[in-house]
Parts: sequence; structure tokens; C-alpha cells
Amino acid sequence: MKDRLRAALKASRADYTEIRIEHTWSASVSYRGARLESATASEDRGGFVRALNRGCGWGTAAFTSLDQLLPMVARATELSRAVRLDEPIHLAAVTPSVADVILDLDGDVRGVPLAEKKRLLEGYNGEMLAVPGVVDTVASYRDEITEYWYANSEGTQLHELRPEVALSGTAIARRDGTIEKGLESVGLRRGWNGVHDHAAGFREAARRAAALLDAPTVKGGTYPVILDNELAGVFIHEAFGHLSEADFVYENPQAREMMMLGRRFGRPVLNAGDNGAAPGLRGTLPFDDEGTPTQDTPLIREGILVGRLHSRETAAKLGERPTGNARAISFRHPPIVRMTNTYIGNGQGTVADLIQDIPLGVYACSAWGGQTVLENFSFTAAYGYMIRDGAQAELVKDVVLAGNLFQTLDRIERIAGDFRWNQLGGGCGKGGQSPLAVTEGAPHMRIEQALVGGDVPA
Amino acid sequence: MIERVLDAARARATAADAHWQRVERTSIAFEAGRLKACGISEASGVNLRVVHNGRVGIAGTTAEDVDDLVARALASAELGESLDMVFPAAAPLPVVFTQAARAAAAPLERLTAIGHELVKRVSRDGCQVNVSIEREVAETRIANTAGVDATYPATGVAVSVDLTRFAGEDVLLIYDFYAGVDLPEPAELDALVQTIEDRFAPALRVVGPPEGSLPVVFTPSGQAAILLPLEQALSGKSVLQGVSPLAGKEGAQLFDERFALTDDPLVAGRPGSRPVDDEGVPSRVVPLVERGVVRQFVYDLETAARAKTASTGHGSRGTFGKPRIGYSNLVVGPGASDARAPASVRRLGGGLIDGIADGLVVDDLIGVGQGNVIGGAFSHPVALAFRVQRGEITGRVKDAAVAGNVYELLKRIGGFGNDGRWMGSRWAASLRLEGVSVARR
Repeated sequence: MKDRLRAALKASRADYTEIRIEHTWSASVSYRGARLESATASEDRGGFVRALNRGCGWGTAAFTSLDQLLPMVARATELSRAVRLDEPIHLAAVTPSVADVILDLDGDVRGVPLAEKKRLLEGYNGEMLAVPGVVDTVASYRDEITEYWYANSEGTQLHELRPEVALSGTAIARRDGTIEKGLESVGLRRGWNGVHDHAAGFREAARRAAALLDAPTVKGGTYPVILDNELAGVFIHEAFGHLSEADFVYENPQAREMMMLGRRFGRPVLNAGDNGAAPGLRGTLPFDDEGTPTQDTPLIREGILVGRLHSRETAAKLGERPTGNARAISFRHPPIVRMTNTYIGNGQGTVADLIQDIPLGVYACSAWGGQTVLENFSFTAAYGYMIRDGAQAELVKDVVLAGNLFQTLDRIERIAGDFRWNQLGGGCGKGGQSPLAVTEGAPHMRIEQALVGGDVPA
Repeated sequence: MIERVLDAARARATAADAHWQRVERTSIAFEAGRLKACGISEASGVNLRVVHNGRVGIAGTTAEDVDDLVARALASAELGESLDMVFPAAAPLPVVFTQAARAAAAPLERLTAIGHELVKRVSRDGCQVNVSIEREVAETRIANTAGVDATYPATGVAVSVDLTRFAGEDVLLIYDFYAGVDLPEPAELDALVQTIEDRFAPALRVVGPPEGSLPVVFTPSGQAAILLPLEQALSGKSVLQGVSPLAGKEGAQLFDERFALTDDPLVAGRPGSRPVDDEGVPSRVVPLVERGVVRQFVYDLETAARAKTASTGHGSRGTFGKPRIGYSNLVVGPGASDARAPASVRRLGGGLIDGIADGLVVDDLIGVGQGNVIGGAFSHPVALAFRVQRGEITGRVKDAAVAGNVYELLKRIGGFGNDGRWMGSRWAASLRLEGVSVARR
């Protein structure tokens, strides 16, 4: 394969050419209730060529027939030439890398029979179904190994094996017309050795679903809010991370002003960053999909905006350094600026310390999901507790947090010292590319005031 | 390839069906008003399902190893549950307009010209305009061991425009798109530009949100939160799982008499139009809700076999994984026949805001699809919404959230607008609902 890539690059008439080839073996098992939905193994392979000519735009070609590699290089070159630009595209310099990086497969999933994967998930699903009140479940197992080749006309040549496993379970409890859910999710850049010993998490999700049947809906309003590790992680990814992706600002002077380095985004307790090189996480890879080494990129230091995430193109345009954040979900897509493992830095103390002086507040836990539309965000917590007189009180449901990013970041007043990476499944979506494997990590944090949706009194 | 796959499967399994698709896509991106990138993609793949010893197995591939594919499908079947699944026999297919020769033949210059025109018409000082254009040429073939062998060509064109304006910490985003089988007609491009203009002018003025239980007009693009619970609840799979709040309520008057929902795969030239579903079942129009009464849940072959009913032709399938239930084109509201009329240019609010003393027009919400959707309760901050006071739009509302329960709200519809339009594979007019909770922050 390496020889084929070299030959294709040599044949290219573009000023810059890069080629990715991916061959992915995956297996998935899913249960709905006690019933096996499916157990299947898939094979996917294909390539992606991106070409750039001076004074021109990008030309790209994605394909599943690998014998089309040479014609596709020619097509991409031709498409690049069809885009004339007044303002040329530059790529920030990256030292070419030549590497054969075999990530630890940690128990090669390709050697494990599908029946064993089914047995594993059946066990976890059974843990949920055994909980009284649970009427239905959705459970899934998924693994994949991608053999990955990357080469560009500047001399970078990479060959990697990328493993990934994910487990997820949703327990659905029902009583009369009321339906509640509990969620467990695990996503790891590991192999078969990483999927055992998760029974407790599935059990806990099911118990929570059942408990929520008796929980009241949170009363809508503005409260001091504590976010747990998971929700704080989702918050920093959704509400802030996307704005720190340089493709959001690089073509837009007003947006650039809004995200000007040196601007204060929060109080001095707030530190945040993105680390594609953190060991053992799902968003971790040695190189991004432009062949740039990954790194730890500080984004907010003591409340001040100090960095952003780049591809080679956005870095050149803004006169900054590439950060190794150009990623594609597969050979079907071009690399775009994405997060890897995004975090809020550690603070001090425990969650009890954050709660103790709150007379009335909400402790929002775990996330069903989150969405940001520019400076507005909405997050749905999986569950929450009222805080009364400085202590965690009753379980509440339908905790939806909504707000303005700038106001909310500025209202983060305390951060605990219990940082944790959330090794969740799922993934991030952007520009039609979803799901991308990312991780988030955070300690508990306290927001002075936030709007909690719920029942709105008419 | 599909013949080789079915032949190999026939030799080793009781029955089989296969779905093959080849898609060529051309995409063009304008960033900040400039043509920035052109790309093509060519992908093909096959999805195979086998019935072996009364058990069902599935496998997919984009590679070309037929024996490996069949072996994986059989391995999958060994684990599968017993199911009396019967593949449909060959039947005549309806004629549906799915392929436009001029879309398939349009050269790159024709497609980029659409983008240049839109950039020119939509651009405004201090705003960034992005446009993307995609053209797809596809061929789909579905065959099974019971005699079905259906092939149909399809084209698709999608044009999307977004306009972003930054003013201090206020960000305004207005978005619209066209999607259809053919290239957009001039009137359809006019409608796109009109949508953006209609929203831009009143959006420049930011006003405080109202509060309380109020009338809210959901525009065609603002209705996802209202329709998603119904789409999930009308799935035969939700019924089988016992999670559909609508299960067992066929024939009952659950919603306002004027409310209707129809699945229409036969309408000409929409993204969901097709003569046959992805499991070989001929397409037909299926009324889901008529005059506020639930009429039909949708099924694919597997859920139909489990529910001991017939597939309604809602099998949807890609190269990987097993077929799932999927709608074709959904038509919302009483005027299903309007959905066959050509595009027209209509005003924001669809004529429904007269007589609203205080309320909202909601064009886009944040976070739709999160949480316990099928239960019908929703609570979302607005992404783009306008305040209505004394029958007039007075400005854009930012810090507001709307909440309610879909099943309750649809019992008392305040009216359908005169702005019915296709949004990709969904046809809807503005919908006025009474007593929606509006909160400010």
C-alpha cells in the first residue's frame, strides 16, 4: 500500500496532494428489551484524495474502489483547478513525519467470535432488565479496527492501526403514562480487554430510570447550578469548544473579534484546553488527518482566551501554529477542524464544598445531549437533585439548562478538585460528519446563576 | 455484484435479500461568499440479509469479497432469533419521478453558478454568507430470492444558504435550504432568498421575550420539536416495544380535527420519493393521522413479521446494519393536496399572527431530539424566534424558551398558515398552537 501511495503522489500534477486509505473491520451487537436486535460484522474500505493548486481551492475525491486511486488523484487535481481564488490558500508548515504507529490493540477484537460479543452484551442488558420497574432496554456493543494509511506530497507517511470499542445501555422504566430513562455509555480507544467489568454502570442506569418515575419535574427558574463531571465536560465541549475551532472565525472578522486571544472569558478559576495526545483516550491519536502531530492546546488560562484549534489552513490564515485538530470521521469526508479530548482544568475541594453554602439550587448530572447554536446553548441533564440548605436533596427530572455562552462562562465561580475524564461513547457532529470519537473531562463546577427549564408556570 | 451475492446466499441459506446502491456525489462549498472547495465521491456497497434455519442474519460491505460477505451474514444468522420473515414477491411498481436528466447532466459550472447567484443575492454588509450545493446521482437495486428485482435511478440536488451576522456578542444565524430531485427552479431560488430576507429585517431589532402561556406560531422550519414525538410514536417498532403513547389508540380522536399526517413516497421529485422501499415492498401513500384520528403505524418487514401484520413499505436500509423503519416524504396538515402544488413565496408567520396580542413566531429551536422525545414533553431555548405584539412582528427574541406537551398542544390548533412548503422530504405550513409555555431568562 505504501508503494501505491508513493506512486500515486508521484503521478499527481497538483502542487499539494494528500491521500488517506482506510480499511475498517467492525462488529456490532444490539439488544432491544430481551430480544437480540442484530449481531453483525461489517467491512468498509476506501480512500480520500485532497489536492491543492496555487491560486486555487481544494479539490477532493472520495471513493470505495481502491483501483481508482490514480484517476481519483487526477479528478481531485482537476476539481482544485476549477476553483479560482483571489486570496490563495496557504498551509502552515508541519515537519514531515514518517511513522508506523501501532496503537496497542489491547485484545484484537477481530479474533473474538461474534457469539462472545453477543454473550457479553446479553449480560449487561440482563443487569438492566433485572431492575424492578424497567420495562424496556436498548443496549449496544460496537468495536472496530481501522488500518490507516496517510501520505502527502511533502513527505509525510503514516501507517496506523486504530482500535475502538463502545458500550451503551438505555434502561426505560414505565408506570402508567410516565416513561423515564437511564443511560450508561462507555467509549474507549481500546480492544476486547476494555469491555469487561461494566455491569455496575448498567445496573446503576436502570435503577436511576426506575427512581425517576417517582421524581418530580424540576421547577423552572434561575438557580445556582452545580454541574457534575459529565455535564461539565459536555458543557465545555458544546458551549465553548466549538467556538474555539478556528474554522469558525478564520474567514470572519467579526467572529474573530468575538474570539480575540487575550479576551477575558471567565473568572481566574477557569482553565480549559484540548489534548489530542492524552494517553489512552478515545479522542487520542498520534497524528491528525493532515499528518500533524497531536498536542495539548491550552484554550483558556485563568479565564483568558489563549488559544484555538487549528488545521494547517486555518493556522496559516491566522498566523498561528497548527495544533493537530484536522480530523475526518472516515475516508468519505475531508478533514475539518475538530476537538479531540477537551477539558476543564482541575480546581480545589470536593463537590460537597461547592454545595454547602447554597440555600436553594440544582445539582445537574450526566447528559442526554447538548446543542449549541453560536452563543446559545441547551443541555439536557439525565437527572438532577435539588440542593436545599447546603445539602443534596430530592431527585428531580427534566433538568434542561439553557443560556448564553458568554454570560454562563463568566458565572462559573467555583471548580472542584475532582477532575475526571468521561470515557463515554457517542460522539461529536459537525459539518455532516458524525459521530467523531472525542472525550471530555472536567471536575464538578458551580455556576452562580443559570436558567433551568422544566415546567414553566403559566 | 448483487446477482453473485444472491446466488452465493441461495446456495447456503433458505432465503435472502440484498440491497445495492451506488452513489456519485458532487459537492461545492462557498465559504464567506467565496467558492472554496469542490469535491466528488463515488461509493458503492451491498447489504445482504439471509434467513437460515429460521433465523435472520445481516452483513454489509464496500469491499468485493462475496464469500466473506455471505459467511458473515450466516454467522450473524446463527445468533439471530427465530422469526417467520417472508420476503415479498415481485409486484408491479408505481411510476415515480425520481430522476431528473438535467440534474444528472449539469456540469460543475451550472452548479457553481447557482452558488454565485445566491451569494450575490443574499450578501449584506457585516454578514457572512455560506452556500453549499450537492448533486447526487444514484442507482439503487433491491433483489430477493422470492423474485423481486427492482432497480431505480435517482438524482438529488441540495442547496443550502446560511447568513451569519455578528454584532458584539449578538450572533444572528439565518438558514434555509432547497432539496429536490431536480435543479431548483428560479421560483424556488426566489423562495430561498425571500426566506432569508423575511427573517433578516425584523431580526435586526432585539426585543425582550414575553412570558406565560401564549399562542406560538411554529414556521415550517420550526416544527421539528412538534413532529418528532409523533414520528417516533407512529413507528410500529415503538408499538412493539410498548413505548408508544399512541399504541392501541387507532380510530380515536386524539388531535384537533384539522390535523393530518401522511407519508407520501409517490409525490414527484422529492428526496424521499421512490417506487419501492429498500426491502422490495412497492410504495404507496399511507395516511398516518386523518382528521385528528390515528389511522396507521408504519412497519418494515421485520417489525411487521413480529407484529403479525404487513409491511407498510417503510423499510429503510444502507450498506451497514439491518433495515430500519424510515418515513419517505411526510406531509403535515390538512392540505395534503397542496403539497403537490408548485413552490410559492409566502410571508413569515403564514398569515397566522393577526389577532395575536402577545406571542411568538418560532423558526428554529435548540436541542430538539434530546431527552425523552416520544413522551411528548419538550422544553427548548429558541435559536431564532420573533415576538408578536398586537398582530405584528416587533423584533427578534433571544433569551426565551418554549415548553409544552405535543400530544396536548395538538388538541387545540389555532390554525395552519398559507405558507405551506417543502423542507426537503417534509411538507408543512406554519402551525399556530395555543397555550405554549414561554419563559424568559
